[in-house]
Formats: sequence, C-alpha cells, structure tokens
Amino acid sequence: MTEQGVGASLRRKEDARFLHGRGRYVGDIAPRGLLEVAFLRSPVAHARLTGIGKPEGAEERVFAAADLPEIGPIRANSALPGFRASDQPALATGKLRHVGEPIAACLAASRAEAEDLAAACRLDYEPLPAVADMLTARAPGTPLIHEHWPDNAFLETRRDEDLSDLDAVAAAKVVRRLRTARQSMAPLEGRGVLAEWDPRLEQLILTSSTQMPHVTKTGLAECLGLDEGQVRVIAPDVGGGFGYKGILLPEELVCAALAIRLGRPVRWLEDRLESLTAHANCREHHYIVTAWADAGGRLLGAEVDATVDAGAYSCYPFSACLEAAQIGSIFPGPYTLPRFRYRTVSACTNKPPILPYRGVARTGVCYAMETTLDALARKLGLSAEAVRLANLVPPEAMPYRNLVGKVFDSGDYPEAVRRAVAAVDVPRIRARQAAGECVGFGLSVFCEQGAHGTSVYHGWGIPFVPGYEQAQARFTPDGVLELRTGVHSHGQGLETTLAQVAHEVLGVDPARVRLVHGDTALTPYSTGTWGSRAMVMAGGAVAEACRLLGERAIAIGAALLQAEPGTATLRNGAVQAGEASISLDQIARTWFRHPQNLPRDVDKGGLEVTAGYRPDPDTGTHSYACHAVTVRIETETGLVTIEDYVVVEDGGRLVNPMIVDGQVLGGTAQGIGTALYEEMPFDAEGQPLAGTLADYLLPGATEVPSIRIDHMETPSPWTRFGQKGIGESGAIGPPAAIINAINDALAPLGAEVTDLPATPARLLAAIEAAR
Amino acid sequence: MTRRPITLTVNGRAETVLAEPRTHLADLLRGELLLTGTHIGCEHGVCGACTVEVDGAPARSCILHAGACEGSGIRTIEGFDADPVMAALREAFSAEHALQCGYCTPGMLVTARDIVLRLPEADEARVREELAGNLCRCTGYRGIVHAILRVLAERRAT
Ligand code: FES
Ligand code: FES
Repeated sequence: MTEQGVGASLRRKEDARFLHGRGRYVGDIAPRGLLEVAFLRSPVAHARLTGIGKPEGAEERVFAAADLPEIGPIRANSALPGFRASDQPALATGKLRHVGEPIAACLAASRAEAEDLAAACRLDYEPLPAVADMLTARAPGTPLIHEHWPDNAFLETRRDEDLSDLDAVAAAKVVRRLRTARQSMAPLEGRGVLAEWDPRLEQLILTSSTQMPHVTKTGLAECLGLDEGQVRVIAPDVGGGFGYKGILLPEELVCAALAIRLGRPVRWLEDRLESLTAHANCREHHYIVTAWADAGGRLLGAEVDATVDAGAYSCYPFSACLEAAQIGSIFPGPYTLPRFRYRTVSACTNKPPILPYRGVARTGVCYAMETTLDALARKLGLSAEAVRLANLVPPEAMPYRNLVGKVFDSGDYPEAVRRAVAAVDVPRIRARQAAGECVGFGLSVFCEQGAHGTSVYHGWGIPFVPGYEQAQARFTPDGVLELRTGVHSHGQGLETTLAQVAHEVLGVDPARVRLVHGDTALTPYSTGTWGSRAMVMAGGAVAEACRLLGERAIAIGAALLQAEPGTATLRNGAVQAGEASISLDQIARTWFRHPQNLPRDVDKGGLEVTAGYRPDPDTGTHSYACHAVTVRIETETGLVTIEDYVVVEDGGRLVNPMIVDGQVLGGTAQGIGTALYEEMPFDAEGQPLAGTLADYLLPGATEVPSIRIDHMETPSPWTRFGQKGIGESGAIGPPAAIINAINDALAPLGAEVTDLPATPARLLAAIEAAR
Repeated sequence: MTRRPITLTVNGRAETVLAEPRTHLADLLRGELLLTGTHIGCEHGVCGACTVEVDGAPARSCILHAGACEGSGIRTIEGFDADPVMAALREAFSAEHALQCGYCTPGMLVTARDIVLRLPEADEARVREELAGNLCRCTGYRGIVHAILRVLAERRAT
C-alpha cells in the first residue's frame, strides 16, 4: 500500500465543492426560458378515470396522456416463468392505480404557478374499491388492478421439498409471523428532471437526479421511439440515491416529451410530499417462517411463505418481482441450511410500485431469519451466539455453494460473531437483567452478495443484464489523467477511490486524476451504480484501463530514454530505465505536442484506452457482518434507547477504509430507521398517511448512536484488488439485531415484537398482550 | 400574482429583489439571487437543509417568507469564505468524513458554526441534541458530530 493508493484513507477529492455550497444538483440548473412542471396526481388509490377538465385559458399548458401520444408505456417484464406483464403509462390512461400517480403535467414559469394550475384542474373518476392489503390482494372477488390478469399478483415462485418428517425428529420447532413496514427511501434531495432539446444536434438532453444515466437513456429511447444517439442523459451531483434513483421515471418521459414538443427547457423537481406519498415504494414484506433445529441449535430445515407488496406497476429496469423472487435465493443467508421449502408472492396492490432499497430483500430476509433463530435459541435454552456458530458456513468450506446455488467467495463468518460478542460486556447485561432492568442484547449475522453480473442477471430476464464494465483512461496534453466511467457517484466518493486505483496502477498523484462520470455523452455504457457494484466493477475496469495505458506510456518512455524494450518499468508516475527516467507528464506532452519525437512503431491508439472488466466468476462477492446491539426499554412509554451498537464487518480489501466506514455508518443509520421509526401507513382506502417529515420519522443525530466498527479483511479471490461490494451492507443488519435485543429485554415479560418498526405503540401493545 | 420589492442584505451586499408574497426565502436566494448552495429538502421546516444565518442566528429559509426578511442581514454558505470558524469546520468535516452526497452539508455547516460559537463547552450529547433539526440521510452523523467536537476542542486548546 502507498499513502494514496488502494488501502489508504485518503480524504475525499469531492469534498471542497460541497463544503462551499458549490455542488450542482438538478434544482440548481435553470436555463433561460425554463418552464416548471407540477403534476396533477391521483387523489385516490383505485378508480376509473373518466375525464380531465383543464382550467379555462390554460388548455395549452396542461398535458394529459391523450395530449402526448408519443410517449409509449413503460414495460419492465421479467422472463421468470409465470411473470405477468403489465404496462405503466407515463400519464394515467383509463385507470388510476395508486395515490400520487401522475395524470397531467401543468406548466408555468414558476413551480408555484404550475401548482396553481394543477389545483384548478377538474378530475372526473369513478372510485373502485382499493386493494390496500397485500395479504388479501388475491382473495376471490377482489377487484383486479390489471384487468387482464386472473388475480392481483405479478409472480409466485416456489421451491418444493418435503419437510413433513422434521416435526418428529426436531428438538425445537418455531413458527413466526413477521412484517416489515412500507417505507420511503427519502434521500435528502428528491428526484428532479430537466429536459432540453438541442436543435443543432437533434438531441434530447435530459439532466436527472439518477443513479443510472445510461439505463435511463435506453429506457427513454425505447419509450419515446428515439434512437439512442438522440438522447443524452446527464446525472449531475445527486443528493443521495439508495435505490430511489435507480429507475426510469414516468416524470422523465413526460418532461422529455414536453421539451421536444415545445422546444423549451422543462423542469420538474419532486417535493417532499410527492417523495413521501407518491413514491413510498420499498421494504413491505410479510413472512411466515417455520424452522426446525436439533438440541444443539443446528437447523434441520426451514419453510418460508413470503409476500411482498410490489405495488401497482413493474418498475423499469428492476421489475416488480426482483424483491420477492430473491427471497427464495437469499433466505438461507450465511448458514449451511440443509433443507428448505419456500413460496414467494409479488402481490399487486394500489400502492406506489416497489423499488429495491439499499439491501434490497436482504433487510427483510435477515430480519425474518435472525429473529427466528433467536426464537429457536430461547426455546432451546441456548445463547444467540451458540445458535449462530452451530449454523454458519465455516471458513474452511470457502468458497461455499449453498443449497440454492449461491456461491460465497471467502471469509470467516463465525469469527465475525465471536469478535462482535467479545466487544460487548454481555455478562454485565445479564447482571442488569437479573437486577430487574429492562435491557437486552441482540445479534444479527448476514452476508451480502454484491457486484453480481451477467451469470446472475441473465436469468431474471429483466430489461437489462450487466456485462463487462468499461472505463476509459486517458492523458490530457499536460499529463492529467482523466478517467471516464458509466457508474455514477452520489456520496460514495468514487472521485477519490477511483483516483486511488489509478494511483495504485500508474503512480499518478490522485490530485492529478479527474473522474468524469454522470454523462452518457462522455462515458462508456454502464448499468450504473446499484447492487454494491461500483468499487468492484468500475474499480476493476479503471485498473485495467490504467494498466493498458501504462503499457503504452512505457513503450513511448523506453524509446525516449533509448532503453532496450522490456527494460523500462513504470514507477512513481515515471518510466524508468536504469538511472534514467521520464515522467508521464513528459510522455503525454510528447504524444500530443511533440509527436516528431515519437518512435516509428508507436501504438497509434495513443494515450487513451477503454478497457472492460468482469470478475471471473461473476456470481458476486459476499461481504458479511455481525451487528451486536444493546438496548434499554422504558416499559411505561415503550421508548427504546440504543445503548451500544457494534458492527464487525468484512468487505474484503478496503480501497478507502474511511469511506467504507462512512458507508457502513450511513447504512446502519438507515437500518435503525427501518427498525424503530420509519413507516408509511396506508389506510383501507389506500391513502398514505405520513405526508411530512414530522410524520415520517427519519433518524436524527440523537437517534443514531456512535456506532463502533471493527473490520476484518478477507480478500475476495475473484476481484482485482480483493475488494468486495459493501455499500448496502449497513442497512441490512439493524432491524434484526435491534428487534432481537428488544425481544431479549422483553423475554422476562413474555412479550415479543414481530412487526417493524418497533414503535412505542407496538412495544406497549406487545407488553399488554403478554399480561 | 403581484411581485413586490424586498430590500435585504445578502452576504454583505445590499439587494433589492421582486418577489411574490408567497415566496419563501430559500426560493428567493436560490432563484433571483443564484445562491444555490442553500438546499431544499422538505419545505416544511424539519430537515434543516435550507438553514442560513438571518441576523446572526440560524434559521430555516424554507419557512421564512421572503417578505418577512425586509431589512434583514442574510448569510448563506457562499458568504463564509473569510470566516475562520467556518474554515476550521470545513477542514474538520473533510477530515472526519462528515459528508457524502453533500446535500445536507451547507445547512449542517451553518448549524455547526452556531453550535461552536454559542456552546464552547458542548459535549457529544449536547452536540447531537443541537443537531436534531438537521437531517442527514447519508452519513449516520458520526463524522458530523466528531467534526464539530474536533473544532470545539481546537478552540478550547487555543
Ligand atoms: S427545506 Fe427547510 S427545513 Fe427542510
Ligand atoms: S451527506 Fe447526504 S444528506 Fe448528508
């Protein structure tokens, strides 16, 4: 490791602009002649739309579906057998399927005036009974959301295995019904879109707060009937993503069509009400878990019946079934589960369409598995730690292929548990419990598949399959190294970490490395930043591009030094041969400004290389972690205080440990929100009930404790530097560990919490029920 | 809607701008005055992304009517370049990795500077309490809290 290369906690190159308020987000960009859009949105969850009355005199400034026939529907189908196809119209046609669904775009010089217009529109509709509960969505007689379907489900998946003999042989059997709440991901910056038409290039330029500009470009071209060359998507600074911005938006299509039609720049900025209600779109799972274990706590088998509320439509590109269908493959978690049976349902309801949120299905799955393991431990009189150690994949079995075919690359899972438990004074917690204090200790263990590629995704048959990640490395005439990637950085610090990778390979000072990202016109195609993939995939691609660029530089440098080919090497940003050396700057200057000095056989590709990269195998890295939590509960009020929070984490080789810590801390804070605070309730009519951040509670500085992190560093054998994807990890473990700690504290009362978030009301209800 | 002139001082410069009565200060700053460092996260006074200094104290510019700021002195994140406390905070925020996407950062910094100046003896619990009105969705707060404590400690040491 060098002081600035892979493994260094280098300070972030991108910090300066943000610290001075010079970040540039979509809402900061206002070209001349800008028209602002406010959307007229559905006030009801389910209805037949019969008419839209435009305000008199404003007919030209209100656009409904019939006014924009050039926009085709969004189609995000999956090739999984049995998946039911549906179209999502950019603006509602015929039916309204969730509160907040866009119906018409209203344009004015300011957003306030555009909202006035939307408020003045008349809406005619015939209400239909709403399907607001995923568990009864398929019941006979329930109104159909998509009327060509036999019932309200996108997909059902199963794995059959006869477990009927386990009752007779198991020392313990537990059954749990568990539920996670519907959430809004709530990045601090909402979505935003600015669409412009460039008449010279005959090109749509769409600036959007997105995590995946290239996928958005493909989706826009498909739905608008344009060539991809006619579309350029720019993702400027983006104020947090977390999955929320990994989607082709109906609003993007509408703004794009309007900009083309009107020849004027058109902008929509999502406000918090739209973000919270129209886009409350993640995490809502229901589980019935049955698990059998022997007297030592070893799992004999498990059965899972899982339902995910997928909402009304299938989102582009991930589809409506990614979350539920994944449950089958990730439920065994980090364990050597020997037998397994499952059924998963992607239920269709009159709610906003589901999107994968940081951790995707893992947060719910980890919650279901880990609370079930604790229930088994309590029943068997074993410690939570003992049950984990009895079932975790042992390090000597790595790489390990589990019963549903997931392959874990490397790591010592049991050691993570031992370290986490050793970091906490558990005997003292037990002593406090014995003294009558309502305190508890809880664990969760999980692994996270990241950067999984072609071999995993082609089977899903969704609109995209990630392939070779590409990066471009090139020198400017004065020797600055420019990196161009299709992944986008929106908090992850890629402007720094990819410069560290380049430094590792070429020795160029990271201060002289610039990352160009977030512009489809300037960067190689990429599926974008999702699935904890950027550091593995773009890191590998940048390393490869730099290696090839280095070879070209060495060839030129050797010639300039009059060295024998093969004797020159690249060190510290210079080509060296014996005592002689020539800097990369000078080599760049020679190629661009003094070509007369180049050797005759120089590679005519010059100092510009595009390289592709994919790990082999590309089934994904598995980072893993153990979270260990101590809570204190006020039984009078139901208030939970997190006294201590320990994370033992293995992300393989850490490219920048400071930034990895930041990802773990931020993810864990979000997981604390999932566990204790965040919930978008819907009433029986499908109305969302939390319209402000005073109702939808995000954890603040007083709710998130000072989390202690301990790193293990087991390199992945499959990636360029041994790095593993770890961006989502923090958000996976908290609900399981926190609820296990709560249930440990409540055990003397005979009470148990099963539904998230564990609000004071839910805690008091659980305590009351046990009385 | 009719626009009326409002006169106020922004980052030391006298400005007269036209605004509708319903315009809030954040929109005025970001729109008319091109000061986009002030961010908007909720427009209902909860997230703190829009925090600026109004007459020397932090305030949420999204729930302040621009018209109510007639004659006020406003300082936004763009107006602290010569301020040594802000310079120390910027340095500490970077060293402690107190920002990721940067969206909460300008508001955080204005609040942080107020904490440092008003509560020189603040401990971690107090700093966290004082930050309760500024949400960050990215960092989990540890870096932000550590950065503020670092500047407090530096100032106590000199
Ligand atoms: S935007 Fe003002 S407090 Fe959120
Ligand atoms: S750094 Fe993204 S919200 Fe704080």
